[in-house]
Amino acid sequence: MALLDVKNVKKIYTTRFGGNQVEALRNVNFSVEPREYVAIMGESGSGKTTLLNILAALDKPTGGKVYLKGRDLAGIKEKEMAAFRRQNLGFVFQDFNLLDTFSIEDNILLPLVLSGRKYPEMEKRITPVVEKLRIADILKKYPYEVSGGQKQRAAVARALITKPQLILADEPTGALDSKAADGLLALFEEINRDGQTILMVTHSIKAASTANRVLFIKDGEVFHQLYRGNLSNEQMYQKISDTLTVLEAGGDE
Amino acid sequence: MNGSIYSRLAVTNLKNNHKTYVPYILTAVLTVMMFYIMDALARNDGIVENNLKLILSYARGVIIVFAVIFLFYTNSFLIKRRKREIGVYNILGMGKRHIARMLFTETLITAVIGIGAGLVAGLVFSKLMYLALFKLLHFDVGLEFSVSVPSLMDTLVLFLVIFLLTLIYNLMQIRLANPVELLQGSRQGEREPKTKILLAIIGFALIGAGYTIALITESPLEAISSFFIAVVCVILGTYALFVAGSIAFLKALRKKKSFYYQAKHFTSVSGMIYRMKQNAVGLANICILSTMVLVMISTTLSLYAGMDDILRYRFPTEYGVILYQTTPEGEEQTEKIISEEMASHNVTVDPDTELVYRQGAVSAILRDGGFDLKETGDYSTSEIREVYMIPEADYNSMEGENISLDTDEVLVYSTGENWGEDQLQMGTRTYQVAGELDTLKLEPKNRARVVEAYYLIMSDEEEITKILKEAWENSDMSPEWIAQQSAVEYIHRFDLDGDKKDCTAAEEAMTERLTSEVAGTFCESRQQSRENFYGLYGSLFFIGIYLGALFLMATVLIIYYKQISEGYDDKERFQIMQKVGMDQKEVRRTIRSQVLTVFFLPLFMAVLHVAVAFQVIKKLMVTLNFTNTPLFLLCTVITVAVFAVFYAIVYGITAREYYKIVRR
Repeated sequence: MALLDVKNVKKIYTTRFGGNQVEALRNVNFSVEPREYVAIMGESGSGKTTLLNILAALDKPTGGKVYLKGRDLAGIKEKEMAAFRRQNLGFVFQDFNLLDTFSIEDNILLPLVLSGRKYPEMEKRITPVVEKLRIADILKKYPYEVSGGQKQRAAVARALITKPQLILADEPTGALDSKAADGLLALFEEINRDGQTILMVTHSIKAASTANRVLFIKDGEVFHQLYRGNLSNEQMYQKISDTLTVLEAGGDE
Repeated sequence: MNGSIYSRLAVTNLKNNHKTYVPYILTAVLTVMMFYIMDALARNDGIVENNLKLILSYARGVIIVFAVIFLFYTNSFLIKRRKREIGVYNILGMGKRHIARMLFTETLITAVIGIGAGLVAGLVFSKLMYLALFKLLHFDVGLEFSVSVPSLMDTLVLFLVIFLLTLIYNLMQIRLANPVELLQGSRQGEREPKTKILLAIIGFALIGAGYTIALITESPLEAISSFFIAVVCVILGTYALFVAGSIAFLKALRKKKSFYYQAKHFTSVSGMIYRMKQNAVGLANICILSTMVLVMISTTLSLYAGMDDILRYRFPTEYGVILYQTTPEGEEQTEKIISEEMASHNVTVDPDTELVYRQGAVSAILRDGGFDLKETGDYSTSEIREVYMIPEADYNSMEGENISLDTDEVLVYSTGENWGEDQLQMGTRTYQVAGELDTLKLEPKNRARVVEAYYLIMSDEEEITKILKEAWENSDMSPEWIAQQSAVEYIHRFDLDGDKKDCTAAEEAMTERLTSEVAGTFCESRQQSRENFYGLYGSLFFIGIYLGALFLMATVLIIYYKQISEGYDDKERFQIMQKVGMDQKEVRRTIRSQVLTVFFLPLFMAVLHVAVAFQVIKKLMVTLNFTNTPLFLLCTVITVAVFAVFYAIVYGITAREYYKIVRR
């Protein structure tokens, strides 16, 4: 069974004064298997972020269904939603979204605290995660005291610590310099190898080239998809690049 | 064209920032109004009473200081919030000169509205305040009240200067900063505050010291000096405690892992640490201001409401006459005038209250076995006592007794503790205590008396005179004064029975004749003193309410601005928490617990301060002849309750605004 199943998802926004309707997502269909690492690519305005918000249950589709492990997201009550999101989904954002009132450690622990876990358990869980992400030495520091790459790794740790079914990453390398971005992507590959399912939205070819599969969204639809097969990252990069060129050219016609 | 673009920009800016500018302008209006009214009252020719004039002009001074500080404070808050916006203008190509012009136009608009509306409100309400004041003072309102042109000018000049100062301050802020700094202006200060353990301990110690001083002070005289020390300690301690104590406390909570890592404490504790950093001083200000409002209103209200008690305490009988350096002829003459005037006004002496006696009064310092005699009272020492010596003949006739004392014997009556020894020395003379009295018609027992008093019943006037002479023998005062003070005086006190108008007329006539016809007399009338007391306590009450209202307004505004500015800061934080998996309910709960704490912590501290201050103020009020503790308690409780209601209303309004901001 697919971990994530997206069926005929539509999203129509109505402008503030009524009348004009904007179709952000027309008809999106795809599914993600467990242990997959999927990248969704598209230009600004292609509906990537809308899609991610719907997958994260932060937004509701106008039509169609989203199933996570067979469970319809639309069927989850508002009251349970926060807990559901906490237990099943991990988020990594472009601008980190770390709270500057918390130390790095507390930021990472936040979802566990919200779930009502006991401190000894938290301690046990955090150690392997921060060691893997190489941020064990900055736990006591505050977000404004560390680099962008470290912040993003802290955010990844926060997403991982709940052992979520799926990690949703929204342009995770967007605010990082290229070295930090490379480090983060290597990390994504690594945790994916460990069995973590990742769905990443990006318009960076480099980021997408680390994924096993790349979906291309254009004008609110899944336009094309690429499988990695046995390709290396470099070959994948070339392939994505070619696809994008075709996509753009086709779009102009 | 060029000019109009600035005014259009200025108007748009004010509109866009209405959430912060409307309260600011409102404050300006109210401050202008209150200053104008006070100034007009202080200048009013209808007020001749000197005490009142003095009090009113003091109050005017307080308002000036307050207006400057407060408008400045609010303005600096506003400009801090707007730095980013101004930075954007700067980057979009507006030169600093243009920005200055825009700010000038804004200030001009604010000033015109603030001063204009304030003066109109002042003119409207000054008549009302005038009537209220006169009603409080029990004055006849017969005087015309008109627009005071000098007051209008005063107000105009004062507030134009204040607005000019704020403009200069704003321009300096803009001039000193570069656009990038301006852009980041409202985003500074996110570093975690340091724990200042030492300061926290000092804060605790200061408040503890202040409280201890307030609680252990026994005598009202000590209270006067210790009160100010206690006040200074508590004010400093409050600041230290809010600034350092709160953060130390929160950090200690954070160290306690099992407590800290719980959903309901986690976000609150860490959020509070930052809030306290930004708000500690503001909260301490609110706390001190609130305490001041509460103390001021509750005491002045008590004094005013307890006026009759005060008068009765200060003037035990309705009428009294003292004849210094008494002589049989003088006494005879005095009695003749009293009976003639009483008869001619158709009133009688109430026999139950009538007291006629001779006494020698002397200040004394308590020492082992007796008293050192002093010519005048040195009230800085708590050992000071008032000693009244009364011949046995007068005692016998007043109390209906029939005692007979030897020249070296005394009967002792104390308003406080019993004397408790067999002997009593007055200066160099030693007396055998023949007995102690439990009651004396002259004065009831009263432990709260400012200065403890001893009444000594002695064998005769001669013996009393000897002691008086000894007390004054080395005096360097004028010989007339010495002669008057070192002689026995004759006192006649009584209530009057009869029609109220007749009584008043009789009192006036007696006072008139006695002071002019009999040398060395002094007359006291409760009724005639009432006016003076109303003049003093009524104006104190008026000022108490007036300044109380002003401080309350300041408190409200500080709270409002705190909430608004925090709302903007917290908005982002709560959005992140929701993304990470906090539900709406938890967000709301966290917000509520933080807002409640920030809001009610100062009030809680203020009430605590007031409760402790109550003990010492109670004693201080005795020096103003106020001894009615239950009334004072009632007034304090009422004041606190009314204040708390106001506070809660402000909480309701600002919390709503805050939620609106946080929820987008």
